Amino acid sequence: MKTTFRDLEQLSAYLDGQLPQAEAARLESRLAADPALAAALEELRQARAVLRRAPRRRAPRAFTLTPQMAGLKPPVPRAVPVFSWASALATLIFLCAFGGAWMGQLTSRSAVPVMESGYGGGPAETQEVITEAAPMLAAPSGQEAADTTRLAEATPTLSATPEAASFTAQEQPLPPQAKRPAVRPWPFVWLGLAALLGGAALYLRWAAQRRFRRRYPR
Amino acid sequence: MDEPSLIRSAQRGDLEAFNRLVLAYQDALYNTALRILGDEELAADATQEAFLSAFRALNAYRGGSFKAWLLRTVTNACYDELRRRKRRPTTPLEPESDDGEEIESPRWLADPAASPEEQFDQAELNHAIQHCLDALPANFRAVVVLADIEGLDYTEVARAARLPLGTVKSRLARARLKLRECLQAFWELLPAAFRLVVEREA
Repeated sequence: MKTTFRDLEQLSAYLDGQLPQAEAARLESRLAADPALAAALEELRQARAVLRRAPRRRAPRAFTLTPQMAGLKPPVPRAVPVFSWASALATLIFLCAFGGAWMGQLTSRSAVPVMESGYGGGPAETQEVITEAAPMLAAPSGQEAADTTRLAEATPTLSATPEAASFTAQEQPLPPQAKRPAVRPWPFVWLGLAALLGGAALYLRWAAQRRFRRRYPR
Repeated sequence: MDEPSLIRSAQRGDLEAFNRLVLAYQDALYNTALRILGDEELAADATQEAFLSAFRALNAYRGGSFKAWLLRTVTNACYDELRRRKRRPTTPLEPESDDGEEIESPRWLADPAASPEEQFDQAELNHAIQHCLDALPANFRAVVVLADIEGLDYTEVARAARLPLGTVKSRLARARLKLRECLQAFWELLPAAFRLVVEREA
């Protein structure tokens, strides 16, 4: 009886013990009756035996992976993003606070001449002129200031009187609104906090990298 | 640490654990690649590539035979290499002597621990097996290497070669038959001691 490819498949599986029991029993009875089938089984068994005895080689080198090959990077500690975001937030608050203070300073500076004119004086130069003028002319405004200057030139002796000197001393200080605003500490507290948090994030990252390098030395 | 623990650690990104698995399986992967590709350098490259792919895809491993899973990566790497080789001019599988003649039983195939006679026998046997394996189509070769040289069972071969179980059975039968025909030509050349062992086993 001619051996078909289906027979060979069965013989190969039978050789490996992969044939179901019933099929194996049927094949065994055929093998006993069919010498060609038995010869085919023998050939397959020999081929398998040769392959199983194939010389094995040892790996020529270690195929272990380095962190660079594996694309590994030092792990970022969980606290690092927290500190980074907190630092960024503190920086933002610092900028807002500092910017607010600066704007406030600008606003107060621009408000000084208005208040002075409201008080009766003109620009700062006018104020200096007034101090040299006679007491009765100390609070002019606009056109009166110009007149005052002319009057001061016309009556120089008046400014030399003690009354005039004392009046000038009373009028010279600027009103309290015109003083420079005091330096507020809060913006710098936020700046310090931002630096502290940012430094903590950098330190944690550096420490993680150091641990990683110790674990996987190059 | 046992294998499942090493695999779990490696899946969490522990490279040391993975490298211990590499050392345990590198001979199996290298031998498989060497038999499929028939070239030492290419086999080493395929093995390295396979371990790299395995590390990157380790979370896709869902249990079962880890060896079969790794052999699947090396089989894929070998198929890639064979496809590349088709697009490139081929290089001889045997080293050449100074006058350009291929050395049929190169010394570098020998096991240095064996006696000179054993080394010669092993080189002859190795040459016969590799010659016959190279004559097989690549997909048949991979199946027979995984089953008969690496000793995987049918289910593991199916997993490693990404083939249905029925295909594994038929390809293995066909490959064994072709190998038997090919080895027949070498039969008288095979070492006498080896022939006796094979015939006794049969």
